[in-house]
Amino acid sequence: MRYFEQQHQPPREGRVEALDKVTGKGKYAAEYKLDGMCYAVLIGSTIASGKIKNMDLTKAKQVKSVIGFVSHLQKPEVPGFASEAMIKASRFGLPIFHTDTIYFKGQPIILVIAETLEDATYAASLVEVEYETAPFNVDFESSYGAVPMKEAGKERGKLDAWSDAAVVVQEEYNIKPEVHHPMEMHATIAQWTSEDHLMLYDKTQGVNNVQQVIAPLFNLKKEHIEVMSEFVGGGFGSGLRVWPHVLAAIMGAKQVKRPVKLMLTRPQMFIGTGYRPASWQRIKLGADLSGKFLGIHHQAKNETSLYERFSDQITRVTRLIYNFDHLKTEDALVPLNINAATWMRGPGDCTGDFAIECAIDELSYKLKMDPLDVRSKNIAATHHPDNKLPWSSNYLLDCMTEGAKRIGWKNRNAAPNAMREGDWHVGYGMSVGMWNAGRNKTSAAIKMMSNGQIIVQTAMTDIGTGTGTGMKNIAHELTGIPRNKITIELGNSNLPPAPSQGGSTGMSSVSGAVVDAVNLLKLKLAEYAAVTNLKFKDAPEESIVLSETGISLAHEPTVKVSYSDLWKTNKLDTVVVEATSAPGEERKKYAFCSSAAHFCQVRVNIKTGKVKIDKLICVADGGKIVNEKAAANQMSGAAVGGIGMALMEERRFDHRFGGLIGDDLAGYHFPVNADAPIIDVSFIGKPDPHINPTGAKGLGEVGIIGTAAAIANAIYHATGKRLRDLPITADQILS
Amino acid sequence: MKKNTNFSRRFFLKTTGAFTLLASIPAVLKATYIQVKEFIVPSKRIVPLTVSVNKKAYQLDSDTRTTLLDLLRENLDLTGTKKGCDHGQCGACTVHVDGERVLSCLTLSAMLVGKEVTTIEGIADGDHLHPMQEAFISCDGFQCGYCTPGQIMSAIACVKEGHTHSVEDIKEYMSGNLCRCGAYNGIVESIQKVAAS
Ligand code: FES
Ligand code: FES
Repeated sequence: MRYFEQQHQPPREGRVEALDKVTGKGKYAAEYKLDGMCYAVLIGSTIASGKIKNMDLTKAKQVKSVIGFVSHLQKPEVPGFASEAMIKASRFGLPIFHTDTIYFKGQPIILVIAETLEDATYAASLVEVEYETAPFNVDFESSYGAVPMKEAGKERGKLDAWSDAAVVVQEEYNIKPEVHHPMEMHATIAQWTSEDHLMLYDKTQGVNNVQQVIAPLFNLKKEHIEVMSEFVGGGFGSGLRVWPHVLAAIMGAKQVKRPVKLMLTRPQMFIGTGYRPASWQRIKLGADLSGKFLGIHHQAKNETSLYERFSDQITRVTRLIYNFDHLKTEDALVPLNINAATWMRGPGDCTGDFAIECAIDELSYKLKMDPLDVRSKNIAATHHPDNKLPWSSNYLLDCMTEGAKRIGWKNRNAAPNAMREGDWHVGYGMSVGMWNAGRNKTSAAIKMMSNGQIIVQTAMTDIGTGTGTGMKNIAHELTGIPRNKITIELGNSNLPPAPSQGGSTGMSSVSGAVVDAVNLLKLKLAEYAAVTNLKFKDAPEESIVLSETGISLAHEPTVKVSYSDLWKTNKLDTVVVEATSAPGEERKKYAFCSSAAHFCQVRVNIKTGKVKIDKLICVADGGKIVNEKAAANQMSGAAVGGIGMALMEERRFDHRFGGLIGDDLAGYHFPVNADAPIIDVSFIGKPDPHINPTGAKGLGEVGIIGTAAAIANAIYHATGKRLRDLPITADQILS
Repeated sequence: MKKNTNFSRRFFLKTTGAFTLLASIPAVLKATYIQVKEFIVPSKRIVPLTVSVNKKAYQLDSDTRTTLLDLLRENLDLTGTKKGCDHGQCGACTVHVDGERVLSCLTLSAMLVGKEVTTIEGIADGDHLHPMQEAFISCDGFQCGYCTPGQIMSAIACVKEGHTHSVEDIKEYMSGNLCRCGAYNGIVESIQKVAAS
């Protein structure tokens, strides 16, 4: 494991891994070079439903450097897939290479392995497959109607208690599926270092998760699988699962007894690593004339695969932000001949929040009230509306006030379709978003050397979130050891175990572990110091002060032992401490949330339907901000993702043949630089008193939850057109 | 949104197990197709090749199908240049050829004879980073870092080409480089910083 090579450089402000990223030295999954490594290419089925009848490899085998194939007809043994029952129990999802059944078009069916990427690619083009086709369905819009609803969470109050509400909005909302598309395509290098030891260089958000999923499939001990993911080129949820291609690479390496590298192509990223599923929602929202909400009925359906059921839990957010005395939430899944969906940035909440926040906007206009005031009146500011626990902290109202100030909300003409500059109509919109702030059990270790250098370690990955830099900042703040003497190691399964980087829990979880590790280090060093100075004996951790050069006591700063003396007298080599930190009793006493308010100013050209986002303002309550720059970067990046969701992103199917169309980055648009304004991000910055020892609540999701609604609401204000389906494209605006 | 209840009928039809054999393509057509494919899709040809990357000359035997991007990443172990699409749609693979920004995934390595290729590994002067690298660090012009080498190579060219008059100008001329992390704020700021110095 290589350390981040910072200490030899002149001190620079910036992330711990910045130098590796701007020089191209950092190694992402597909970039390791192993002796004897060969290349694999995955072939997908060309039909959407049916069975594989025959595979003809004759021509492919003639390509000289081809080494082997993996398919359901020729494969190494996977003990965990030994029977149908075991496949089911493994919960791996798609039983790759263990079935001749085709569930969707593009389903991986053969792996071709050759000496070079060019040869593997060419040989793959020569494989001929014959199928028996069966009828299929990939059409969500014409299918959801037939699927009945199921209750999603307990009903509050009674649905008919507010049937006489003075104002009601009842509308439907449709959102097209979106694909994560991290810029780094998923890739795995698999190497069997012995019969029962596996080395994986993998693009994942959680190295320990990969161990847990793969170990039982091959009857391996978890710790006999090393997963290396030091640099991860984005995830947004796509790296929270272990996808079929990872298993394909492992099986390939077993088959040819050599290390195998497999990188998905961009079209395969559309069909192999999950997506935010297409959804339909209906909202019925009622209020009295003062703008107080009386009740809500939220129904949602999302598409899913035939081989695995994935619920996006779209109505969860409805139970979170506002006070509704009467609430009913229902959902349903619509199985289709498509690959499995998964969590994508702000999963579920992003989708549900769009519908609620648009409905509230519509209600506000009906009430002739300011949408900001309607929200303020109804936000559950003190207690979680479902479990009634008091919020540990919730500054959503402050976020709204600050955002309104920043965009000049008061100065807008409140009437829709009233501000024009030639063909351009100008509008303002807002929305809010919220996310249950989680925290998971996480370990961190600190190694200290005699010269006062420390290494802080965790298995958690840094997918661009700034995790490593945050850890360094915390360690520096608590120890006084200068930043250039602190190195960070992360993203490897040999390091202290950690949960996956996801659901905005990364910083919240790891920060607690680093704090605890620092405290352990203090106690341990005090123990050693007590050998020469009894004043350190049994000193409580809060009285122990560390610095660049040595250890002292808070109330007696002159009592000091230098690290070099400490190491000499105790004949120390490296001092190592490891701490594990997890949520506890506080979870029974308080509810936890991160939140944000989004404000948007758009210009809409009524002749061309073009939407230009002039301003996007995001004010967030993420508790203490451990790393201001990286946090702002996260938030603005999420807002850019929200622009994509609102205006351009759509995974499209050809309903006749069951395959994807436009499945590359020319056909699927997400925002380029010119599509986004300079995003204005700010934070409340108040530490949460209970969530963890640092008070950091996590930010990855709230940056995108609500963005699309703010944009749609601004488009309504600009044009008077209420558009409830995403993405909002020019044709909708002109229709 | 229109509603259509065809689904239930079609859905249940599918599960009745009425499989049909894939309509077979006429044999003659198929044979012609294969002939054409075998003619167009070349199998391996290896040619001797001398390329200069970051002022270092490499003498290689190269597959004529190898792109500059794969040559760098798979053969020369210069993995700083990234593959984000392999189809000229993302900019992650941007390098300089004779000082101009070029997509290495759309460039065959055999096209480089007599040209000078500069990659992200070649822009620093020993331990002294290129000002654009420094700017990306101090302005936090990235998150995951995967698009970053391509952004930096494009950004250097963007400044050189003089497209830095306004934020809009920079955004327009940097729009061939996608960043899914959405680190566009910092990318623009980095370029402004270098352009101003
Ligand atoms: S990899 Fe060359 S443009 Fe995407
Ligand atoms: S920094 Fe992750 S894609 Fe640009």
